Amino acid sequence: MSDLDKAIAQLRACRPIPEAQVRELCHKARELLIEEGNVVTVAAPVTICGDIHGQFHDLMELFRVGGDPPDTNYLFMGDFVDRGFYSLESFLLLLCLKVRYPDRMTLIRGNHESRQITTVYGFYDECVRKYGSANVWRYCCDVFDYLALGAIVLGASNTLSPPNEHISSEDYADADIEIEVCNADGDIMSRFQRRDNEQRSPNGAGASAGSKTGPPGSGASGSSGGSTGNPTGAVLCVHGGLSPLIDTVDKIRLLDRKQEVPHEGAMCDLLWSDPDEIDGWGLSPRGAGFLFGADIVKVFNHRNDLSLIARAHQLVMEGFKEMFDASIVTVWSAPNYCYRCGNVAAVLELSEGGGGESILARSNGDVGRSDGGMRGVMMESDSAPKNGPARRYRVFQAAPQDSRGMPAKKPVADYFL
Amino acid sequence: MAAPSIPNLLSLRGSRGGGRGRGSRRGGPPGGSAASGPGHDTTIQGTDTDASVSRLSAVDMGYLDDPYAQYFVQNQMGPATRRLPIINRALDRLIDAFLSSELGPEAGRKQIVSLGAGTDTRCFRLFSRNNVTGLIYHEVDFPTISSKKRQIVQSTPALRNTIAPDPRKLSATLPRARLGAAPAYRMTASTGLQSDIPTLLVSECCLCYLQTSLGKDVIKHFTEQMQDLSIIIYEPVKPEDPFGKQMVANLAARRIHMPTLEMYREPADQETRLTEAGFQTSKAMTVEAIWKQWVSPEEKERVDELEGLDEVEEWNLLADHYVVAWGWRGNGFQAWDDI
Repeated sequence: MSDLDKAIAQLRACRPIPEAQVRELCHKARELLIEEGNVVTVAAPVTICGDIHGQFHDLMELFRVGGDPPDTNYLFMGDFVDRGFYSLESFLLLLCLKVRYPDRMTLIRGNHESRQITTVYGFYDECVRKYGSANVWRYCCDVFDYLALGAIVLGASNTLSPPNEHISSEDYADADIEIEVCNADGDIMSRFQRRDNEQRSPNGAGASAGSKTGPPGSGASGSSGGSTGNPTGAVLCVHGGLSPLIDTVDKIRLLDRKQEVPHEGAMCDLLWSDPDEIDGWGLSPRGAGFLFGADIVKVFNHRNDLSLIARAHQLVMEGFKEMFDASIVTVWSAPNYCYRCGNVAAVLELSEGGGGESILARSNGDVGRSDGGMRGVMMESDSAPKNGPARRYRVFQAAPQDSRGMPAKKPVADYFL
Repeated sequence: MAAPSIPNLLSLRGSRGGGRGRGSRRGGPPGGSAASGPGHDTTIQGTDTDASVSRLSAVDMGYLDDPYAQYFVQNQMGPATRRLPIINRALDRLIDAFLSSELGPEAGRKQIVSLGAGTDTRCFRLFSRNNVTGLIYHEVDFPTISSKKRQIVQSTPALRNTIAPDPRKLSATLPRARLGAAPAYRMTASTGLQSDIPTLLVSECCLCYLQTSLGKDVIKHFTEQMQDLSIIIYEPVKPEDPFGKQMVANLAARRIHMPTLEMYREPADQETRLTEAGFQTSKAMTVEAIWKQWVSPEEKERVDELEGLDEVEEWNLLADHYVVAWGWRGNGFQAWDDI
């Protein structure tokens, strides 16, 4: 067992590794990250995750639900640290996995991966408390500076592969599912078929649908891989959102990212901005970044041949939220955020597109906002671009209290009392 | 960022009074009396420590301007925890309107009764203004809290002088009121309560800890004595959605139980509560609504820029689960009509 594997095992048990080892790990990680561009290219299949915020036990739950690395190819969209009690263990584990399986683990930077923010929101204090000095915090911050700013997922399929081993892929090929929501055990909770008129069944979470398509059946074809779908337009992943200074993905590639997150400018915006129901650009209540409306997203996606933007950054109670005709989605992976918010979490799975014989259809062309009417809990849209990737959201709750092995430091949340 | 502003997550400590009454689990509050026994009292008193620390934190960060907050936080509390008590603005606006209303039968004479005042500094802030005359301010709280507060006030010139020139101003920090024991709640003329001037009752997270029947009795005690009466209640609501459920569970883990949360679940229930208590007009808004509707864009912008605030969604959720309810009857509250 290599030192790295030992470190992974130790961190998986939620035990910090020695300072010297952190130093070495951070050094290796930096060598690796420095080779990555500002926008990393990732091939589907991939499981996209939002904020973690030091909720270590919930990260373990995420791996249980989404599959263990390296079996599952992961993309984490930042905000690994702060707020939760185990930022250190969470970030170091992800970093170890990155170093160990560089091609199966993509980490991009969130607005909390910053010196200034971590001194305010907990990570700095946690490091000092656990190591008696700020050295480890410094090593980690040096790594933060090298994290990529975004990722492009290529080759995502417009159909899904089965969510569990009980369903055969043949059943799936016919189903033409665009969106599927599964619970933590892989059971299908709801489905939405692609773009057929009455079908984008409104009643959202938990309800409906399961019966509509091939029921979870015997099957057990075992073959998990190789679905038969077609690849779709690319998916841009970024922590926050868009910037008025960035109109093409290539402009992101030109930024000098190896620095502390600035207070303003393109790099700051990518990590801080939020989509909102407005036209154009607006001021952000966060005091950094901007708000941007549907028109901005649609123009950006069209110009850059994107079928979807996946981002994190905002707490959404259902774990994910699609907006603007499914042109952008928020993925949130910290259940019961801050031990207070009562929300569920989600990860987004994109399947691998079949051999690209047909239509490399990046037709996000027409921003048709056809009919109206149906919207569900998480569907704010009326219609989706035809060739958006099929999306499976796995929704999960906070790890049970008794799985939090550590001496029961009862997480205490603030209220006005 | 300056060191004092760095929060230590672990310092968001829970039941400081914990350990006491550990064996006495809340098995549903004992019928009719206080929410539960002495252990519960201690827990509730602990919430005041919480509040004073938050207040100072807010002042440090520039959210609030309160020169008096510093005197009520003990050093050993550790670094101030960072909170957003924007709630103060909502109450301040109502209270200011009450004080500015000059049309009462005895223009200028007003009375405020602050229930469960704890280390609240509102009376010092009010009395430090030049235009506040003829105000009588009562604070009611547990004896231990009241006497400690009196001690601090008397040994701190900045506080003492605020209320000193006219001793009538701060009529009493009544040491006799043990929250939760209804008979002790009897404030009457003999304790300085004036029954013939416009009076404002303020409950900032106070009545919520009492059994609802007891809470009703407390209000009734005042409605029976005076005609020109108003009330402001600030407390949590909406226990049933995911955030609310988690809130109830987290509070229970700190051994805090709020009977009103079960009884008055929605803001509208709070309005009904006040109407039924005998107030002619009653209104209720969540803190989130107040923040959106009452706070000026300039002030919002100022606050937004104090720090890179990355707690926006959390703040909205939290603020949506607190209500400010207010009601009044009789004269002296005309200014509230316009709110």
